[in-house]
Amino acid sequence: MSIVKTAQGVGASLPRLEDDRLLRGRGRFIADIKLPGMLDVAFVRSPVAHARVRSVAKPGQMAGSVFVSADLVGVSGIRADSGLPGFKSSVEPILAWDKVRFVGEPLAACVAGSRAEAEDIADLVMLELDELPAISEMTRACDADAPLVHEGWSENVFLETFVETNFAVAEKADLKVSRVLRTARQHMAPMEGRGVVAYWDAHVEQLVVYSSTQMPHIVRNGLAECLGCPQGMIRVVAPDVGGGFGYKGILLREEVCLAYLAMHLKRPMRWIEDRREQLTGNANCREHHYEITGYANRDGTLVAVDCEAIVDSGAYSLYPFSACLEAAQIASILPGPYSFAGYRCHTRSIASNKPPILPYRGVARTGVCFAMEVLMDLLAREIGMDPVAFRMKNLAQPEEMPFTNITNKFFDSGDYPESLRRCVAAIDLEGVRARQLAGEPDGRRIGVGFSVYCEQGAHGTSVYSGWGIPMVPGFEQANARLTPDGGLELRVGVQSHGQSLETTLAQVACEVLGIDPHKVKVVHGDTAITPYSTGTWGSRCMVMAGGAVAAACDVLAERVRAIAAHLLQADPADIVLGDGKATCGAGEISFQDVAKVWYRRPQDLPAHVDPAGLEVTQGYKPLRDSGTFSYASHAAVVAVDPATGGIEILDYAIVEDGGVLVNPMVVDGQIYGGAAQGIGTALYEEMLYNKEGQPLAATLADYHLPGAVEMPNIKLEHMETPSPLSRFGQKGLGEGGAIGPPAAIANAINDALASFGIEMLELPITPARVRASLANVKAQA
Amino acid sequence: MKPAPFAYHIASTADAAAAALARAEGRAKPMAGGQSLGPMLNLRLARPELLVDLSNTPDLQGAQVEDDAIVYGACVTHAQIEDCVVPDPTPGWLSAAARHIAYRAVRNRGTIGGSLAHADPAADWVNIMMALGSSVLVAGPGGARAIAASQFMTGSYTTALAPDEIIAGLRILRRTPDARWGYWKFCRKAGDFAQASASVLVDAQRGDICILIGAIETTPAFLSDPEEILAGRRSIRDAVAQALPGRGDEGLGLHVAAVTRALAIARGERD
Amino acid sequence: MTATTTLSVNGQAVSASVEPRTHLADFLRESLNLTATHIGCEHGVCGACTLFVEGRPVRSCLTFAVSCGGADVRTIEGLQDDPVMARLRAAFTAHHALQCGYCTPGMLATAYDIVTRLPGADEARIREELAGNLCRCTGYAGIVEAIRDVLAQGPHAHEFAQLARTAPSGAKAPALAAVAAPESSLPQQSASADEEIVGGVTLSRSVTVQASQERLWSIISDPMTVAKCFPGAKVDSVSPEGLVAGSFTVTIGAVSARFAGRGKVAFDGVAKSGMVSGMGDDGASRSRAQGKVAFSTAAEGADASLLVVDITYKIIGPLAQFARARLIAEIVDRLLKLFANNVQLLAEGKDVSIETGGFGLSMLLGAMVAALRRALFRE
Repeated sequence: MSIVKTAQGVGASLPRLEDDRLLRGRGRFIADIKLPGMLDVAFVRSPVAHARVRSVAKPGQMAGSVFVSADLVGVSGIRADSGLPGFKSSVEPILAWDKVRFVGEPLAACVAGSRAEAEDIADLVMLELDELPAISEMTRACDADAPLVHEGWSENVFLETFVETNFAVAEKADLKVSRVLRTARQHMAPMEGRGVVAYWDAHVEQLVVYSSTQMPHIVRNGLAECLGCPQGMIRVVAPDVGGGFGYKGILLREEVCLAYLAMHLKRPMRWIEDRREQLTGNANCREHHYEITGYANRDGTLVAVDCEAIVDSGAYSLYPFSACLEAAQIASILPGPYSFAGYRCHTRSIASNKPPILPYRGVARTGVCFAMEVLMDLLAREIGMDPVAFRMKNLAQPEEMPFTNITNKFFDSGDYPESLRRCVAAIDLEGVRARQLAGEPDGRRIGVGFSVYCEQGAHGTSVYSGWGIPMVPGFEQANARLTPDGGLELRVGVQSHGQSLETTLAQVACEVLGIDPHKVKVVHGDTAITPYSTGTWGSRCMVMAGGAVAAACDVLAERVRAIAAHLLQADPADIVLGDGKATCGAGEISFQDVAKVWYRRPQDLPAHVDPAGLEVTQGYKPLRDSGTFSYASHAAVVAVDPATGGIEILDYAIVEDGGVLVNPMVVDGQIYGGAAQGIGTALYEEMLYNKEGQPLAATLADYHLPGAVEMPNIKLEHMETPSPLSRFGQKGLGEGGAIGPPAAIANAINDALASFGIEMLELPITPARVRASLANVKAQA
Repeated sequence: MKPAPFAYHIASTADAAAAALARAEGRAKPMAGGQSLGPMLNLRLARPELLVDLSNTPDLQGAQVEDDAIVYGACVTHAQIEDCVVPDPTPGWLSAAARHIAYRAVRNRGTIGGSLAHADPAADWVNIMMALGSSVLVAGPGGARAIAASQFMTGSYTTALAPDEIIAGLRILRRTPDARWGYWKFCRKAGDFAQASASVLVDAQRGDICILIGAIETTPAFLSDPEEILAGRRSIRDAVAQALPGRGDEGLGLHVAAVTRALAIARGERD
Repeated sequence: MTATTTLSVNGQAVSASVEPRTHLADFLRESLNLTATHIGCEHGVCGACTLFVEGRPVRSCLTFAVSCGGADVRTIEGLQDDPVMARLRAAFTAHHALQCGYCTPGMLATAYDIVTRLPGADEARIREELAGNLCRCTGYAGIVEAIRDVLAQGPHAHEFAQLARTAPSGAKAPALAAVAAPESSLPQQSASADEEIVGGVTLSRSVTVQASQERLWSIISDPMTVAKCFPGAKVDSVSPEGLVAGSFTVTIGAVSARFAGRGKVAFDGVAKSGMVSGMGDDGASRSRAQGKVAFSTAAEGADASLLVVDITYKIIGPLAQFARARLIAEIVDRLLKLFANNVQLLAEGKDVSIETGGFGLSMLLGAMVAALRRALFRE
């Protein structure tokens, strides 16, 4: 390739281009948008988890400012069905009218000049709700006397899946270990909540919806379906988005409602989710229950795994991911990077009177990794083998790559045992063991634990078509335009909200086109001006949008060459692009001059120039779209205080293989940030519900997010095995940091407490749970 | 999450504040730093008709030095104590404790008087002021009065204040470096409320010896026979069990650990 | 209901009419269009809204604009040219200390405070000082490094005013007489008294009363008397069928809830036991309480008897959305002590003391309120 490598292209830790505006407080987030005549909306939300709605009474003097379901004429509810056989359908009403199915479900929208006044009106709306018994515990959802979340269903199950492969081999295994494990219901808790600003643009006869979303094009699909209007009548814009993590990968009822109100009242409408709405009504991820059995031989061979998994999917199936993705994914990803002969897994997506779930960073992988990796430790203990050695023996080996596991997952590349070896070295396992033997002067117990996982990223059509959900990713497109001054505009349909795509996609363009990334403007998050995309989710942007940008720049490069060759009187094949110019021997011409000719002096163009010019839209999909597999080994050293149950992470190491790193600094940031969320999952975050389905942590004082003190200094190392599937060998890795910590930390805690005969099998592992376990053991003794 | 409407009154003196509260007949709330009332207002769980702002009231600010004590105005902030902007009547104990109350931005506005009036059983000052034998100076239409800190909090979030009374200040006895002190608390995460706390004071000069446990979901409790505990002749667990009747072994453990550690700090065996 | 407040924002005098309920963050964002200050939780935990008042970082969501009369307020917008902030911005970029950028303005305010106030801060101290600023993206690694980097370039002088608060000049205290009381919005709907409590929590306690079982029973078999022993409960009427109309009021500190509804009383004269149940709604908080008190008596010799009380309660709505089981148990104990005390007083022929006013059956709900306050109050 005739490309000159620069210090700013793929592989450079280029400082971020988006930082300056954010550091100066000049970002524009959804709540920063202010339009003339704008009204604020506050929703009246259900105070109960399950009830029949007898009435929603508007206050007499304010009736004109309150909108209930019947006012949203012609608006359809949100349906997100899966095509998998047996899936039971649910419809989310935009505003509940016959029943409410979880605390926080919206019943009325109140409109006023300020949010405070809108809340004043909301206070006056009277609800008559006949409370019904609620399902708040998924393991009881199928009891004979369980109330039905959706009448007409036979039981509270969205979907059941069964997978079984060669499970008969389990019978011949030397030993087995069975456990029940559980993860808590969590909230993704981006620092910015959701929010919508909608207005009717009379001039272009278009509804403009600003939304704090990860997927503006998908939101437009959904809005058009619910409002029954043509897509051309709707424009969705994601402004600066203050974190997503899956929380903003959804079509919101509030988006539909605000859109309707804006269209019909012809006034701009704004709704900004507050933290209480978020915590009480939208704690919506990661509640898994596992009954898992591992079968192994005394020589350390993992023989088979059997698992009964249920996921509390909440009250409705959400658009576009549906209620089944999480549980069904468990069955397909539980085996992870291990090679074994027999497998059986039964999953159920339970309907309950809790908020519906969305896929959170890592989706089911965090829970699956916890279940599988804790099981691996317990099996190793049962065999009498070192847990690291047991893993080494059963991991897919580098010479097996590409490796197809028992659920037909295609591992594209990598050396999993090597990541574990390096992780052992990074954490100084020998040193920790020695310290353990010596004991701690303060009476705390030291433990060390490991976890290994893989992260399937950027999985595409072949994977998602099987789910039959409202969204299947296909080709990703990018538009590249050399501007008349020789700059580059990239337009992508994905959305950047912390992923640093304004920088990394510019680096891709730099790599292909040899243009200074600082001259690249990445435009994203606006359906009016970007190509269609399913958006930002599933660790897909760097592979998919990165690949699309590269493909578009490839074509653009050819066109630049053709013009430059003409101007330099050279053969296009001899033109080298780099450093913002086209060079041929001693002759050179800047991109600016090439662009000037195309736009401003077309009379100087060659006779047979490509009329498409310096603007290209190109699509991309890896030849095989089953996904890139990044992976990592995590190691944690913890100190557990038996007197208080307090847990301190003393040391933490991650050895990650994300393929070729486009921007190593950004990758590190993704992994540190993911790990912080994983540590939250492991030790802090939990949304409890009481029997009536009332959420018990309405504020961040009760829902504990890890702070700087709770985060260890993480040792992070990289392996860079290029993926054979992606453009530059890069792999999706945005979620991985969040996957490994609960398993590694649980294993470390269980190692620390082994002498007490205690196993912590429920997340988060809180001091109170540790104390309870210790007291329990003491009582039994 | 915006407050319901309320009227607002800046009190120019403590007496004026009490008078304003009296006029409102229970429909008003005093607010000092607002770090506790603020969230309740934002969540619309507190809906006073009138807010009486004490944060600028001159006679609630600063410290007065007395022979045997220092009197803090009710609106002395946690940060002022942390930074020793007001004199510390103890050898640095208050400053050290202040540093671990919530977060700096909260400490910059939150006040010692507000903390006591709020009477959260897990709060630091509630525990520490009781252990140090401080008195709460109260202003109200009935005149000023002083209440011993140990009598001030009557239960969770409940105090001996009448609805039209406010805390004017805290009289905190001086302690010399000969006195020994230990304060330890257990929190889920930094800046969070304590799940258990304990204070130990051994002031031979004044003849004060006490061990106090806090964050027990009610008024902090003094352990009986602290001398015996200090001498190692009485088990901490027994003493805690006596102070917290009806709690199982599991419920006691954390409080026993708190006392053990506060004692170790008082003895100079740990930080 | 507005007041005028005069303050300095980023060095410029601002005088504005503002509702007392408007917090500083909303005032800056909505009235002055200064949107660098972000709102993350509005209960003082996340730190996104941190800015400077009198040069010190504070929570602008817990600071009312009207209480900033005469104050010097600085936001990120006002520190564009500040040399310390410029160093922090450069370090934040160099160490990748931000991703989505939402927590960043508050994080910078706290970082500024650290590098100017604590020149010797080590990593542990930096982390401690950052405890009140949550970031969900970075895992704090880059933030801690950036602050270390800037500290190493120090010392740094605080470049703008750190003043003592001056007396307020702008805000005018409205006379109480002029206070417009918010309309109370009690629900018209009355709850049914007969409904079984589905779910709920039951707590049992027994107390010894120094009175014979007969005497005890004569006291507690009268619904009006029972109500009297549960201060906070107000009985409007009792029908011959035992249906009660009334309310009970919870007031703990700043929080007040009045649950109005219907109840039912039933007595078994033979077994000398009884039951009071009720349900009521607090319209303001959109919460509902259901409670049942079952009591029985037993002789303990001639002059004493045992009163056994089982309390079942259930609360739904915002007042329920906090979990502090032990706090409630404490409240129930206090309630029963008062109840027993009152029964004892009646047994001795005395009247029930008024001192217990505002503290009663409603304390069960009060406990929930208190739990919430506990979760939040940091004063």
